[in-house]
Amino acid sequence: MLLLALLWIFTPLAFAQPPAGMADQRAKSVTQVVLGILSYARWPVEPAQLRLCIVGPTQYTDDLVKGTTQATGRPVVVQRLLADHPDIANACDAVYIGQLTSDERSRLFASLIGHPVLSISEGGDQCTVGSLFCLRVADEQVSFEVNLDSVARSGVRIHPSVLQLSRRRAPGS
Amino acid sequence: MNIDTGPVRPTLRSVIGRGHLSLALMAVSMASISLTLLGVLALRVYADHNLHLIARSINYTVEAAVVFNDSAAATEALAVIASEEEVAEAEVFNVDGKQLAHWERPETGMLSMIELQLAHALLEQPITQPILHQGQVIGSVHLTGHGGSLLRFLLSGLAGILVCTALSAWVALYLARRLLRGITGPLHSLASVAHAARSERAFDRRVPPAKIAELDSLGNDFNALLDELEAWQTHLQSENETLAHQASHDSLTGLPNRAFFEGRLIRALRSAAKLNEKVAVLFLDSDRFKDINDNYGHAAGDAVLVAVASRIRAQLREQDLVARLGGDEFAILLSPLHRLEDAQRIAGKIIASMDAPIALPGDTHVLTSLSIGIAIYPDHGATPGNLLNAADAAMYQAKRLSQGGQQTAESESPAANVQHRS
Repeated sequence: MLLLALLWIFTPLAFAQPPAGMADQRAKSVTQVVLGILSYARWPVEPAQLRLCIVGPTQYTDDLVKGTTQATGRPVVVQRLLADHPDIANACDAVYIGQLTSDERSRLFASLIGHPVLSISEGGDQCTVGSLFCLRVADEQVSFEVNLDSVARSGVRIHPSVLQLSRRRAPGS
Repeated sequence: MNIDTGPVRPTLRSVIGRGHLSLALMAVSMASISLTLLGVLALRVYADHNLHLIARSINYTVEAAVVFNDSAAATEALAVIASEEEVAEAEVFNVDGKQLAHWERPETGMLSMIELQLAHALLEQPITQPILHQGQVIGSVHLTGHGGSLLRFLLSGLAGILVCTALSAWVALYLARRLLRGITGPLHSLASVAHAARSERAFDRRVPPAKIAELDSLGNDFNALLDELEAWQTHLQSENETLAHQASHDSLTGLPNRAFFEGRLIRALRSAAKLNEKVAVLFLDSDRFKDINDNYGHAAGDAVLVAVASRIRAQLREQDLVARLGGDEFAILLSPLHRLEDAQRIAGKIIASMDAPIALPGDTHVLTSLSIGIAIYPDHGATPGNLLNAADAAMYQAKRLSQGGQQTAESESPAANVQHRS
């Protein structure tokens, strides 16, 4: 049984001045949520630079691919990889998963088993399969679910604040 | 003692009471005001510290919500903490300065207004604390405290001041009253003794010892003064008595003089007239006094007078009066008198008492005799002068008829009732 929690995130841009474009705004919101999740994640061995891999075709990563630096000063290196890349588990600390076939997804998650890799799915419908976080992107809000089962198995520790928030929001959503 | 003088002077009681009261009130108010001030200062530090702690705990709680820009989560977390704490208003801003969450304590009436004003006046607020995530500022918390505990402290301090003031005022008045008893008691006895000495000449009263040294010494001095006054008064009295005695008595025989006799006679006649009684006046004269004076000297004459006086005195009752009118003349007042015969009997006894010789200085003796005239009130005169004249006349008649005899004054009939010595 998977423990699911839903967290609604209201993006700051939703209340800001007229946005430059809907896609732009979504991309920025997605970037903020992804970086937020990354900031609350702890790996068994902290990497000197955080390698974020984008796998498969995605809609909201235009902003994310530019790469950034975390508040701690650790750089976040973003690279695009193919779904059948042979060594995703070792080449990435975090994976942003776009549109994949179920076969590709099964293979990807199988290769990640036993490796501390934080996975975020762009589509919310696949969250039961094995991804730690699943985004639900809307115009006004970017929400995400947490698959606590997968989190427990992955070996990546997620700060309780995030989990507590999601658990708190679960009955309401 | 109650003398109304123009300005109303405060009593010792009011002076002491007011002194105690003002001292106590000043002490209490100074102590309580300084304590309250210190307490407010200390409480202010703690309230400030507390506000910062609340801000920090809000910080930790809303951190994730701010990271994910979750306004609803931040609002909920804020409300959970702020409603439990002494917070009037709390706000969470993200790094762009946009308000993510806002919480405000619902109005609860007058008291909360006062609390807010108090907190506003005493605390440095609103306080702002940055929200940090991974060492980076991601937003800020703004907190405004409400002075609930400050108000409670001030109110209880005020109540304490009131209670302490009332208590110490009571104690001060009690102590003043006790002190007053120690002071006014001795003063009262001093005043009453002084008053008695002044108005009644009661110099025998003394001030009792007092507990307070100064009052005791005052009382002692006063007592010493009274001692002196008493001694002086006694001395004066005895002096006066001596003088009065000297003025009304004959220094040789010790008998009253003529003035004294006349005074007594006037009183006796007045009393007799009122009570319808009789009074007898006897006029006595020594028959051989001039001879004795010439033959034996004045010292012998004096001795004869003294002897005669004491012999006359010995024949009389206690209430009867014998006086030396001058020279060898004596007068006797018998009051009250029942019958004429009583006066004649007494005159006889006096004449008989002269039978014994009188010892003179120089081992010689001499014999003398008395002639006595008797006048009775109201039979022989109604006024002292008339009575004395009647008695005098009777005495001369007796002397003429026979020396050493007695003669009763003639009233209506000139018939003389002469008795001679047997």
